[in-house]
Amino acid sequence: MVSYSKLALFLIPVVVLFLLDVNSAFAQESSKQYMSARIEIWALFYRLMVVAFVIGAVVMGTITWVVWRFRESHPKNKGSITPSRSEGAHH
Amino acid sequence: MWEILFSTHHTDIGLLYIYLSTTAFIIGGALAIGIRSELFLPGNQGIIPDSNTFHRIFTVHGTNMLFFWLIPFASGIGNYLIPIMVRYKDMAWPKLNAVAFWMLPVSMALVWLGFADTTWNAYPPYSIIRAPGPAAEMWIFGLKIAGISSVLGAINFVVTILKMKHPDLPLMKTPLFVWATLVTSLMIIVAMPTFAAALIMLYTDRLGISGFFNPAMGGDPIAYQHLFWFTFHPEVYIFLIPAVGTAYELIPKFSRKPIFSYGSGVIAFVMLAIVGFASWAHHMYATGMSFTEKTVFMVGTLAAVPASAMHIFNWIATMWGGRIKFAAPMAFTVGGIVLFFFAGAGGIVNTAMPLDFLTHDSYWVVGHMHLFLMGMITFGFIGFLYYMFPLITGRMYNERAAMIQFWLMFVGVSMIFLTQHVLGLYGQPRRTFDYIPVQPLIILNQISTVGAWITAAGAAVFIANLIKSTVSGKPANMEDPFKLGEQYYDYARREPHH
Repeated sequence: MVSYSKLALFLIPVVVLFLLDVNSAFAQESSKQYMSARIEIWALFYRLMVVAFVIGAVVMGTITWVVWRFRESHPKNKGSITPSRSEGAHH
Repeated sequence: MWEILFSTHHTDIGLLYIYLSTTAFIIGGALAIGIRSELFLPGNQGIIPDSNTFHRIFTVHGTNMLFFWLIPFASGIGNYLIPIMVRYKDMAWPKLNAVAFWMLPVSMALVWLGFADTTWNAYPPYSIIRAPGPAAEMWIFGLKIAGISSVLGAINFVVTILKMKHPDLPLMKTPLFVWATLVTSLMIIVAMPTFAAALIMLYTDRLGISGFFNPAMGGDPIAYQHLFWFTFHPEVYIFLIPAVGTAYELIPKFSRKPIFSYGSGVIAFVMLAIVGFASWAHHMYATGMSFTEKTVFMVGTLAAVPASAMHIFNWIATMWGGRIKFAAPMAFTVGGIVLFFFAGAGGIVNTAMPLDFLTHDSYWVVGHMHLFLMGMITFGFIGFLYYMFPLITGRMYNERAAMIQFWLMFVGVSMIFLTQHVLGLYGQPRRTFDYIPVQPLIILNQISTVGAWITAAGAAVFIANLIKSTVSGKPANMEDPFKLGEQYYDYARREPHH
């Protein structure tokens, strides 16, 4: 089971992000903040897009490498006829 | 044959679901090939006679693929495997199970014979004022019956998993496929009644005895969209989660390693189920919602990213350090994950309300949702069908043909749907019979259509392989048909009929 501390680690950024968004969303209630809030949201969006696509490229690259390196026919895997310790141990 | 048709045994019902859904996949795919071939060049190519017929074709294509391919296939593999995995002799209510299945052919007949033109969303006011009957009525009743079938099936799965599982088997020791089916079933039970109500309101509006969605009678068409998407955004996860469950079933086995983190898989399923209900209005940014509402739904949608990422990291970590056998089931699963990732990246753009206005109702949306449906989900299901092939038939499929099919479909699907994202950015609206004859649109449509033909070739190999291997495939070694070094499913379980 997952411990509560791990759950808290996950929830903290979610709550912070949510509060930031609520702040932006209610900025439209005031005409003074309205324009700058929209610009901030666009800026935040572009930053998030850059982060998302960089992470995406890293993850796709990792998947490609894992598939290539750990395939059964890879030279380093070819010799291992004996199953590894964890083989066959599934839920 | 008659024994299977009148059986209530879970493997027979599962087999019927798989037959029906695979047939729906092929005939629905044939409609898609017609659509893409017509769009190979601007103007009428004579493949589809007019725009009315074009609307009817993509309405039936969409309805058929979602309700008669994706959901019934998930029910089929669930029927086959859930009782085996929870160690019970059958589903909790075998007769109800058979009733739930036999509602589907009736529903499918109504949708196909009606051939409505409402689009699969059936948005008012068109669907209540202008859509010709009895096609629209047949569509409404067809979906009503399909919805009841889904709910009955879902109740049966929930009771089988929670009440009929072996007392010595804790829920946290069941395979993640069981969790996927449990979460999906609970989502169906919560989501479906809203659409059921919307369908009745749509029908009474069409009869003129109510005006819930009719602006001329003081109704609000946008209210229908809220009811529709409250059901159908969770439905996206109802399609997706069983495919994720199949990936959890295959990746550890073909990597010859245990799942990296069972607990995070369970948490991610539950999170997806919850956030699936918090994001329906992201389909409706262009309907004039307030900025505050849009922001809330944008955040709600982005909340699905961590859960999806948890699954992907779990799969990568499971494969890491393994000895991966790339037989067809694994190739389709990993190929599906790659396409899932591209679909997710496109989804982030749709999610962000400022950019959604650029892509809304354009081909971007078509490309995005098809990458999910054809990529992760259909690839996952085809891979899993190959994995279950020895269990169902006692024979092995042709591995070389299956790998040829994989590469044809992977290249074809990428060509169709990645290109359609670009088509959307060039401004081609979705659901149009014709497009402006300018160079970028023509060449991009042609690439997309050629991709569709390549995918169709893959589907032809798929069907030929299934039929030939069922009739004359090599008898499978039922202990370990894929030579993975571990016990396969209990083949003897498919024998007793009652």
